[in-house]
Amino acid sequence: MKNTKSVSPQVSEIIHIPEKPSFLPHLQPTVNVLASVIEPKDANTLVRKLNQIAPLENLQHVKRVRKKCIDGGKPQLSLLLCMTVGNDDGEDDCMPYEILQLVKSYQLSTFITRVCKYAATSKEEWDEQCKLWPTSYHPPTYNINGITGFSEEESQLVFGFMRHAITLATSSVGQVVNAAVIVDPSTKQVIASACDQVISSASLANEVSKEGSCSNYLENLKAFNLENQQTSLLDGSIGEFKHITNNVACLHPWQWALQSSGCWHPLRHAAIVAIEYSAARDLQLFPDYKARSPLKKQKIEESGFQSNGHSYQLLRPYLCTGYDIYLAWEPCAMCAMALVHQRVRRIFFSSPNSSAGALGSVHRLQGERSLNHHYAVFRVVLPKVVVRNKVVDGKTSGSG
Amino acid sequence: MNQLVPTPANFAVLNNNQMASYAKETFEFMKLALEQANDALANLEVPVGCVFVEDGEVIASGRNRTTETRNATRHAEMEAIDFLVQQWQKNGLSPLEVSERFSKCILYVTCEPCIMCAAALSYLGIKEAYYGCANDKFGGCGSVLSLHTSSSNLPTSNSELASSKKGFKCTGGIMASEAVSLLRSFYEQGNPNAPKPHRTLKQQV
Repeated sequence: MKNTKSVSPQVSEIIHIPEKPSFLPHLQPTVNVLASVIEPKDANTLVRKLNQIAPLENLQHVKRVRKKCIDGGKPQLSLLLCMTVGNDDGEDDCMPYEILQLVKSYQLSTFITRVCKYAATSKEEWDEQCKLWPTSYHPPTYNINGITGFSEEESQLVFGFMRHAITLATSSVGQVVNAAVIVDPSTKQVIASACDQVISSASLANEVSKEGSCSNYLENLKAFNLENQQTSLLDGSIGEFKHITNNVACLHPWQWALQSSGCWHPLRHAAIVAIEYSAARDLQLFPDYKARSPLKKQKIEESGFQSNGHSYQLLRPYLCTGYDIYLAWEPCAMCAMALVHQRVRRIFFSSPNSSAGALGSVHRLQGERSLNHHYAVFRVVLPKVVVRNKVVDGKTSGSG
Repeated sequence: MNQLVPTPANFAVLNNNQMASYAKETFEFMKLALEQANDALANLEVPVGCVFVEDGEVIASGRNRTTETRNATRHAEMEAIDFLVQQWQKNGLSPLEVSERFSKCILYVTCEPCIMCAAALSYLGIKEAYYGCANDKFGGCGSVLSLHTSSSNLPTSNSELASSKKGFKCTGGIMASEAVSLLRSFYEQGNPNAPKPHRTLKQQV
């Protein structure tokens, strides 16, 4: 599905992974809809009625009415009635009853046409969409840094933190696990970092990371330089590496029961543990908040809670709002959703996870519009880890 | 965590006719889950609660603890799972034995498990889940994603069986209106822990 470049990239790269799979502008997926030419004088009434009986739930970007100028400049209006149900030949009997009634009373002659399934994400896509049927286009209103590109300085920071995460992932003896590093980009500070704690032998890396969880990342890098030598060892030996990625929790989340050693916890994936550490840090740095009793809380509410809440926000972050997370591997559904809950701003991962990845490989949580929080997702390609990507892709594509 | 659970308007409720076919014990266990949710509400947490049942006996219970821990992943299910894993490990159970115990567990939870919890329940390989109201915005058992359905290809060996994707039977709509009214009372009192909204809320029409 996803082809890793056969030649190792010589340069590092940050690739934005959008909310939906990207298509060439003229190859966007479409759906069939039922439409009809209408009399301009009926347009308002019909649109109002249709919005009630057949709202365009998954086609919010599609306009209800198409205006075309036919010969002599006389405008012709076409109206989108509803999505087609069942067979696509436009027979009356597969129309919802209310639509059928409208068609009869206004003597509409219906036809089937195509509209684009997804809202346009660029001007180019929008231009193509409108050739089929008019849609609306809203350029992204949110502005998460990086979607439109990274400055050289930002890129170097991203590469640095990713190298740190990969070093963590490979720092325990004899195995590779996933690693997660939560960073406050405004201060360039590591808020928390953790490795998978699904099996007990991963404990070594975790001891170290927990200790260094609040320190500057450069210091951390220094501390990990020794273990870093093992990384190159792994890169050189594909066979060994293949065996070794069996312990990456997000790649094989159903496999924990096969561990022979004492099991730590089947769900303690790196991202989950890192979230726990960052929450613990929050409690440690702002303990007063916790001590507040329900009774006291009630008082605050009565005495105009709004202003209190506001001043509070200035003091401490809400969950991981504004923070980034770096992961060696694309997270599974559990971890990706945990990062939605904790309000992480950006996710950077190094290797895709074709067996269970939830940010583009198997699921694409960043594209689920119903979720209340959305992060931006990036893949970071580093020259040194390309071998790893190939091995992981090759290994999991068969079973996934 | 106001936004962690959708507004009550988004919760689906089954009608009473659909209810009649479930065993009496289903409601008894759901009542215990609702008690947990009530406890959450009393502690200013999003009111969702659950119990784990093995061989007809409640072996763990949990409720949301996201505000207290400042960890938005501390959902009711996660609390109960952590309790079970800890206890079983203390009793010296191996990972395979822990897996076998989970495969006998039935979960009763007042709100459809979110995507995170549904994935977790699939990783653990529980037997079955009953939930109260559906969760249109976050639900991982059919509403947004369907993580409770198993893979189509059957495992061929024991080790494959232990490591393959597991599904679990999932039934919604058990005492949903009770679950919704708890959530409603939470939202009416307002969530003091949510950040100030970026936009001013729409004026009531």
